[in-house]
Amino acid sequence: MKLKTVIFICLLLLATISVSAQEGAEIVPETDTTEQMPPPAPISLLTAVDTDNDNGHSVTLTWELSPDDRQGAKSVMSYEIFRWVPLMRDTVEQVRSELANTGQELEVGDPTGEIKEKRNRLRDEYEGLLSRYSDAYGQYPNNGVWKSVGVSPSGSTTFADKGSKEREAFDYLPDYCDFYYQVFAVTSDAGIRTGSEIFGPVHSYGQWFNTGRIPIFVAVLFFSFLTIYFVQRAKKGDDLYVRPLAGIEAVDDAIGRATEMGKPILYVLGLGTASDVATIASFTILGRVAKKVAEYQTALIVPTYDPIVMTVAQEVVKSAYIDAGRPDDFKEDTVHFVTQSQFAYVAAVNGTMLRELPATNIYMGKFFAESLLLAETGAVAGSIQIAGTDEIAQIPFFIVACDYTLIGEELYAASAYLGREPVLLGSLKAQDWAKAALVILGIAGLVAANLGWTDFTDLFHVIN
Amino acid sequence: MKRQIPFVLVFIFGAFMVFQYFIPHESSEWVYEFLLDWIIIIGIFALALGIWSLLRVSLDKIKNKKENYIYSYLILFGLFGEIIFGFTAFNGNGESWGFYLPFVACALLAIIMIIHTIISTGKKTTFAALAGVFILLSVLISIFDNSWSFHFSSAEGVQNPMFRSFFDHILIPVLSTMFALLAFFIASAAYRAFRARNLLATLLLVAALIVMMRFNPWVAVIYGDYGAKLSNWLMNVPNLAAQRAIVIGIGLGIVATALKIILGIERGYMGKG
Amino acid sequence: MKKTAIIVTAVVMGLFILSWVLKANAVSATAESNYILRGFLVTIAAFLTLSVLSFLYKDNPFYKFAEHLFVGVSAAFWMCLGFWSTIVGNLIPRVSEGLSNTFKVPYIGGDWGNVLGLDIMNVVFVFPIIFGIMLIMRLSSNYGWISRWPLALIVGTTAGLNFVRYLQSDFIQQVSSTFVPLLGNNWTGFGDFFSNLSLDASGQLVLMLANWVIFIGVFCGLIYFFFSKEHTGAFGKASRVGIWILMITFGASFGYTVMGRISLLVGRITFLFKDWLEIIS
Repeated sequence: MKLKTVIFICLLLLATISVSAQEGAEIVPETDTTEQMPPPAPISLLTAVDTDNDNGHSVTLTWELSPDDRQGAKSVMSYEIFRWVPLMRDTVEQVRSELANTGQELEVGDPTGEIKEKRNRLRDEYEGLLSRYSDAYGQYPNNGVWKSVGVSPSGSTTFADKGSKEREAFDYLPDYCDFYYQVFAVTSDAGIRTGSEIFGPVHSYGQWFNTGRIPIFVAVLFFSFLTIYFVQRAKKGDDLYVRPLAGIEAVDDAIGRATEMGKPILYVLGLGTASDVATIASFTILGRVAKKVAEYQTALIVPTYDPIVMTVAQEVVKSAYIDAGRPDDFKEDTVHFVTQSQFAYVAAVNGTMLRELPATNIYMGKFFAESLLLAETGAVAGSIQIAGTDEIAQIPFFIVACDYTLIGEELYAASAYLGREPVLLGSLKAQDWAKAALVILGIAGLVAANLGWTDFTDLFHVIN
Repeated sequence: MKRQIPFVLVFIFGAFMVFQYFIPHESSEWVYEFLLDWIIIIGIFALALGIWSLLRVSLDKIKNKKENYIYSYLILFGLFGEIIFGFTAFNGNGESWGFYLPFVACALLAIIMIIHTIISTGKKTTFAALAGVFILLSVLISIFDNSWSFHFSSAEGVQNPMFRSFFDHILIPVLSTMFALLAFFIASAAYRAFRARNLLATLLLVAALIVMMRFNPWVAVIYGDYGAKLSNWLMNVPNLAAQRAIVIGIGLGIVATALKIILGIERGYMGKG
Repeated sequence: MKKTAIIVTAVVMGLFILSWVLKANAVSATAESNYILRGFLVTIAAFLTLSVLSFLYKDNPFYKFAEHLFVGVSAAFWMCLGFWSTIVGNLIPRVSEGLSNTFKVPYIGGDWGNVLGLDIMNVVFVFPIIFGIMLIMRLSSNYGWISRWPLALIVGTTAGLNFVRYLQSDFIQQVSSTFVPLLGNNWTGFGDFFSNLSLDASGQLVLMLANWVIFIGVFCGLIYFFFSKEHTGAFGKASRVGIWILMITFGASFGYTVMGRISLLVGRITFLFKDWLEIIS
């Protein structure tokens, strides 16, 4: 009996202990292991400098990766960048937001002038706050908070804190203020992170020379030197040979043909504006054509697309008539504006072609989809057609539909050909030398690239 | 002097834009931005010159009764009609536009009568009287009809749906149809040009045919995907080479011409006198 | 001829009016309130489309009608748009706060400070107005020379801009684009080198040959554009190769755009048959 009791009590005790042990196990929370995970190692060697070759309002940070970057249990998944900002930033943002709202309210209407007054008051307040920004940043570490300005993924060692230069933008970053930065290495649990040492002060400011564009600067100097050198040589009387171009030589014949037939010449300057270089090249050709036309007393029709082009073309043609000794023969309506709509212009020019039946059509300048419409209508009208454009997509249509075509660069060379002025021939020579230099550099770079000489190929790398 | 100062200005602005390219500083950016804004604004003033030229040519045709002078009235009708639509708007008083269309008709007739008063050699008085009548009618309608008004101020721009209707039902159909004519013209150009007169024409023809045949489903049936592969290779290899050569040539041409303009070597565009 | 012209015009006008009535009737069935105007607008669009298409036959009064109407309306359209977008939208908000309030557009003040009590931004944007007025002086026979000053500004500014822009894009970048591997990359044996000879493949030999074609094509194309040397001898032969490559390019470009042009015609035919005649749904 006693033995049975002892055995029973032992069994009872054993059961109680095992139940207690299980219950104890259930009580232990599963998160215990996570809380116990140590924070990751921080980044090192954090530096912040003003971003180079920009207009300011930007700071570039670089650092060495955390040793825990994408590895191990405390793997760093991202880096969060913080900048110290003064407390007054909230006030600045609030005023800026109200200022933006008044702008929108003004668009709806302001019959009493209240909104305008409010806007002026807010603008003055905003400017006042911005003028105190530099001092506020200088109060570090007092009266400020750390604000997250961005996140970089794991593996990255750089971040550009870029702000806007517009003073009323929400992300305006003032220049010449003391900025302090800290970078946190963050794990998959955003709460587990380690901050780096704070770096600062650093200022942002704009540069006065973009060193990333040095290759272009060298090219500008080189090209300018070539042009000036050959122009000087041409002025001294050096004979500069240029090979014959069929399209240019045909211009004189075409003008003669028109004179014999007693029909006008149609000159189309294209759809470019006076700021397009192709149009300016076309003006020079127009001047030569107009001078010949004036000498032969042939009619000239110049419908224009752009009003400024019309103004310039009128000047050019008038001067040509004066040069030819026939100023009275010039009629203002020789050069007239049609419309600034592409296909309306084409419709009008097509109509002119079919009604006036010009003997010669000259298309020189910038053309787009309407090139084939013009050229085909001119072909139907039976005109001799000479075209020149720098729009690569339209050259095939001119080649197919016109009698002579100046391809790309030949349009720019045409002015030198027609006038045979030494200075223009000199600049044409400079163009050819630049092309030769390009070929030589291309071959040298090709060899360097194939042999792995990156020092040479990197010279042509432009940073924008 | 009259010609020298413009060339000095060309050099100053041209040189500034070249140097500005290398100066990333804010102040340089601001000057660059407002210079570009200036050019756009000046261009709008130039539009007045263009419209004046268009009017003069049309009036000259009407005055001298040149061939097809009747159609110049259409230019005037379209021009002044669209201008009226661009600067009038519905006031929201009532549901309809009231006497707006009679106003437009009277305004257009008044303009035509004024033109005839200026250009006609006889019957000037008749035309002037008619012009006066139509002007009076237009003014009376604009004063007493409250359903619409003249409109020159608003951030939203043009408010008249007739302006948009002219765009949608006159400009767009004609513009699209002119564009569509290209389908016919490309066929006629191809028919005329695709004759293998010489090696160059043959190369042009063959290359065009290879690329065009790519879209033909029967080519795929006969030749498999060889046609598409050849076409793609043609576009990606020799086409790229030639495009690059042309682009380099054009670029150098533009650079040379721009430099000539800045340095004053190229002067033809400024005229003489 | 005149009688024929009158008859043709009368028939066309009759058809136009018939189409207008039928179209207005069709639109009114959809309970639209301004069905007469809608019917007129669709009919005029179809009429203008057919007028322009008639140009393919020959120049005729209907094409002249469409052309002249188009010219007038488009000139005014761009003028109005220019006034609203540039003068009212861009100039007035910057030149004066008072004018901005008159035209009910939000004033865009500058943050460049003041000079003599005036916002510097306002002063800066008075200059284009002055230049614009100088341009209009072109109309004067005595003072027309003044219009050259704003022209000089426009031409000089854009010449300077184009000079550096094209030097970068068409000189420096083109030079660096020619740095392609001509001898192949990462030699891994003859098997890999000669594998996959299909034209569209990225096998080493195919890529290498493509790079050689590009290099020779660019080189010969540039030789063709040399002006100051006679194209004879080896130079002339390279120039010939250059023009051949150019012709291949132009043929390929031509062929490439054919389908695009056909699709434009399809668009217009769809309008005529669907929106106007409602033959297709």
